[in-house]
Amino acid sequence: MAAAEHHEEKLTRDEARHVLRRSFSFLRPYRGSVIVATVVLVLQTACILAGPALVGYGIDAGLNKHDAGALNLAAGLYLTVALLALILGRQVVWLVSKIAETFLRDLRVEAFRHLTTLGMDFFEREKTGQLVARMTSDIDALQDLVSQGLVSMGQNALLFFGAVVAIVVLSPLLAACTLVLVPPLVWASAWFRRESNRAYLNVRDRIGVNLATLQEGLAGVRVVQAFNRERAWTRRFYDTNEAQFDAHMETVRIASKYFPAVEFTGVLGIALIIGLGGLFHDMGWGVTVGTIAAFVLYLNNLFDPIQQLSQQYNTVQSAAAGLHKVFGLLDTSTHIDERRDAVALPETGSLEVDHVSFAYGVRGEGEGQGELVLHDVSLRVAPGERLALVGPTGAGKSTLAKLLVRFYDPRDGAVRFGGVDLRDTTLRSLRERIIVVPQEGFLFAGTVRDNIRIGRPDASDDDLDKAIDALGLRERIDGLPEGLDTEVRERGSRLSAGERQLVSLVRAALADPTVLVLDEATSNLDPGTERAVEQALEHLTEGRTVVVVAHRLSTAARADRVAVVDDGQLVEIGSHDELVARGGRYAGLYASWQAGHAA
Amino acid sequence: MAARVDDERDTTNGDHERAARRAGWRLMYGTVRPQMGWLLGGIGAGIVWAGAKITVPLLAAAAIDQGIKTGDGTTTLIWVLLAVAVGVLQALGTAGRRYCAFRISLRTEADLRHRLFARLQQLHFAFHDRAQTGQLMARAVTDIQQIEPVVILIPLSIASVVQLLAVAAILFYTNWVLAVLALGALPLLNFSAQRFTRRIQPVSLHLQEELADLSGVVEESVAGVRVVKGFGAEATQREKLRHEAESVLDRSLAAARLRAGFLPLVDFLPMLSLVVILWYGGHQVLAGHMQVGQIVAFNFYIIMLIWPMRMFGMLLAQASRASAAAGRIDEILVTEPEIKDRSGARGLPEGPGELRFEGVSFGYGGGRKVLDDLDLVIRGGEAVALVGATGSGKSTIARLVPRFYDVDVGRVVLDGVDVRDVRVRDLRRSVGLVFEDTFLFSDTVRENISFADPDAPMTAVERAADLAGASGFIAALPDGYDTVVGEQGFALSGGQRQRIAIARAVLAEPRVLILDDATSSVDPTKEHEIRAALREVMTGRTTLIIAHRPATVALADRVVLLDAGRVIAEGTHEDLLARSPEYRRVLAHAADTQRDVTGELEVAG
Repeated sequence: MAAAEHHEEKLTRDEARHVLRRSFSFLRPYRGSVIVATVVLVLQTACILAGPALVGYGIDAGLNKHDAGALNLAAGLYLTVALLALILGRQVVWLVSKIAETFLRDLRVEAFRHLTTLGMDFFEREKTGQLVARMTSDIDALQDLVSQGLVSMGQNALLFFGAVVAIVVLSPLLAACTLVLVPPLVWASAWFRRESNRAYLNVRDRIGVNLATLQEGLAGVRVVQAFNRERAWTRRFYDTNEAQFDAHMETVRIASKYFPAVEFTGVLGIALIIGLGGLFHDMGWGVTVGTIAAFVLYLNNLFDPIQQLSQQYNTVQSAAAGLHKVFGLLDTSTHIDERRDAVALPETGSLEVDHVSFAYGVRGEGEGQGELVLHDVSLRVAPGERLALVGPTGAGKSTLAKLLVRFYDPRDGAVRFGGVDLRDTTLRSLRERIIVVPQEGFLFAGTVRDNIRIGRPDASDDDLDKAIDALGLRERIDGLPEGLDTEVRERGSRLSAGERQLVSLVRAALADPTVLVLDEATSNLDPGTERAVEQALEHLTEGRTVVVVAHRLSTAARADRVAVVDDGQLVEIGSHDELVARGGRYAGLYASWQAGHAA
Repeated sequence: MAARVDDERDTTNGDHERAARRAGWRLMYGTVRPQMGWLLGGIGAGIVWAGAKITVPLLAAAAIDQGIKTGDGTTTLIWVLLAVAVGVLQALGTAGRRYCAFRISLRTEADLRHRLFARLQQLHFAFHDRAQTGQLMARAVTDIQQIEPVVILIPLSIASVVQLLAVAAILFYTNWVLAVLALGALPLLNFSAQRFTRRIQPVSLHLQEELADLSGVVEESVAGVRVVKGFGAEATQREKLRHEAESVLDRSLAAARLRAGFLPLVDFLPMLSLVVILWYGGHQVLAGHMQVGQIVAFNFYIIMLIWPMRMFGMLLAQASRASAAAGRIDEILVTEPEIKDRSGARGLPEGPGELRFEGVSFGYGGGRKVLDDLDLVIRGGEAVALVGATGSGKSTIARLVPRFYDVDVGRVVLDGVDVRDVRVRDLRRSVGLVFEDTFLFSDTVRENISFADPDAPMTAVERAADLAGASGFIAALPDGYDTVVGEQGFALSGGQRQRIAIARAVLAEPRVLILDDATSSVDPTKEHEIRAALREVMTGRTTLIIAHRPATVALADRVVLLDAGRVIAEGTHEDLLARSPEYRRVLAHAADTQRDVTGELEVAG
């Protein structure tokens, strides 16, 4: 089970190649910087690796031959390469970070740009949380790699190979004997990575369960206390908490085997170098005391990179998986496109639904093959008319509203405005003529002014004032803490539900559409705000064509005509009085509603 | 003037913070103390490790100076074999100290989290009203994570201090001038690690904030996609995101600049020591004051000290964050539950469930009076409906009965006893309450219903579900009573959740049943099924109903109309409807703001 999850994070060879290719295409603009950074990194590593060789030279040429000049030369050179390594090192960290961070910025901007071009079907199919994660935590995972891993990974790889080259040059024989220890260390590191990966996946699961218990115990603490279950819940948390502890201890046990083995290998390496080095020295096989000293110093450059690379392997893998998901998003194609020869919508006209059928579905894989949500619906809304859509949840009235603003295109039939099929128009003119006002006033972080101008960023303050006055909301808006400059915070959380609705109505007024599609609010407001919203709506809808998805019968009763939608079909349409008189579906509803409230 | 006030506030804040840190250290010490055995074991293993680690270079130096340089192969071999033997000790030591250190820190984490949870479960409602779940989660997760690294480092650093002192002693004994020169650069390592950790923390915090802002833009654009698309605001949002992405880039580069200053320095400072050793030490050898092997040993020791020096720097920087975090946790742990048994609290005597509110005044957190000198008597077995506008105090009355809050003035009396004189467990067992917002746990339907008594037989669970009018839809769930519901389970409608909550309250067979807006989300047409069931539940049981729907209110024997925390009218539903305009107004407003078309059509369709 854990093993299966473990594989989820891994990419196939093809996927990895794809990720690599796409990454390179993003890096193309920074080609020059990449080359410079690589060169600097190689130079810096060479400087670090020169150190032990210089110590060896100092011992052999200086100390053993009693040559103070050679000793001074070695020390002077060592100081020089140390300083160079410092200067170059700063450049490396800076250059690599700059390239990588810029790459991430480009990726974020591009992924988001692409996201905003995708059709409504995409947003309704995908879970909000997952979409946001793709743009945030998946890219943030890369941020960790970039800030901590990338430089040291490159350096580790270079250090290891550089050290191998250095010791082979110094003494091929002793180098061969020292490198014997590398395969066991590589094997142990691979074992450690595998085992600790497995153990950490388990830890992650246990943390998830424990957090869920914690969260529920806190969110439901009132119920727990009301029913005297404090002790039972504390006990329950104790169990999940201990399970997390046990899972964590397993990782500690694994590490407690690996790290001692690594340290012992280090000591063994020193013993091997000195023992065999001494033997070769006695035999006169070209091994000097300086060589032995240099070998011992190089040992760190051999062993440390193996350990670190094996741990960084995990980071790279999860980063690649993150990139893969982001690229997957970039490769998603969009539904609602503008035709090349698209025309602007006329200023006015009637809204016409002509034999429309519709089914949700995924493009490519059985598009529109899903269950029909709308069957052959036809209706016509005259300019300035007010139509209420009534029907149970899932009957199709909201879907119909979405087709009216072209969040979706119909499977069969057409939606037209002023005789022009919505599919043949520019998206820009469509959004100018037909506006949907969702039921809960949705606000974005920013000021009230920003929120109102969202549909018309170029609108002047005069335009804003006109829109506010047209709805009679001057006092309401001025009454906000800082008027139009009030920061509403995330999702408009600083305003009340009623105030959010009012702002969203001004937003619609500023956009000044010909057709308004309203999704009626269902939340309870305090009576004062409720009245303000109703009055503002009254002003907003004046002289416009209005289609309202109604949840209250009182709203339906006020419309010019009512369309009852059920099971994807238009059941009846007519004025409130006509429908009540006809004694059909609507009349039945109305009667039972009146009965329920007269009791 | 204003400045002085600020100064004073700063001082009191500073004092408070220092006190919180002290409390934090005490808490950490108190949590580690029971693990003294592991701590001593860890320190012991650490000393063995340090000793072995220090000995290896000495053996290597001896091998070079006495074996290789004199050409004595046997001596070389003996020293080398000794080094391997010491290496075994070193490996065992490192295993022991790591295991102990991590065990202590994980144990500390688990213990603190458990104590925190246990305390939070006991703390009164008023505490939870003030604290948000998210903040409490942060205490239990983020703050405890701040403490962990410091606890890990305690045994590790004690061994490292031993190591550091021993190395310094050996170096000074060998050649004190060289020792001073070689070790001179290392405190800089400690210092710069400390400085780096301190400087990078605010920058990474800032970066985290910018990342949060960025994900805020993504989140709102996805959640509000209907507005974005409906108003053609894609470009506006793209501009916002670009702006945030630039801020993230700026912050990341600020962090990169700090890293670029620090990381290469970590490599450089030890190299500087090695240069000094080679040069000055080399001349000492030429002058005949030192051996070549000792130079090699010096090199070893310097490399050996790099990690402990960096670690001390990080420990110092982390310690202040950890003590502050522990202080915040301690603050919760020392909060005493306000609602608890008085000394001499007794069981609830047998009785019909008669409730009296005598001159009760109450305000949340001692604030504005929600109940103002309220007098109300509910006879045993009587069903009373509480009706009033939002904020009139009807839910508050319900919450005072099971002592979710205690009255400020006056008293609440159940069957002749002040509720504050009854054992809390006994009191709450006798009072069943269905909350306004129903909370179900991520468990099976059966476990949710039998919440008060997990050992209740299945027949009792089924009967409770019947009484709440829930058995019908439960049978239709994928796994019936074994269906997992709640946040992570099967999504129930609001009305279904409420019916399960009613069943949960009914199962405990309470003497007093309180339904706080408990049927507001139930379909109006389904409500009559529950009404019949509720009538049966209410028989012989004192019941308080808070509701708006006329049909539900009509279930009660008597209606009490509340306004501003006082009773302004009482009588039967018909009676009040006939003579109280205020009553008609409250009911009419409630009816007007209810969803109806959708709900009823759901039934019709």
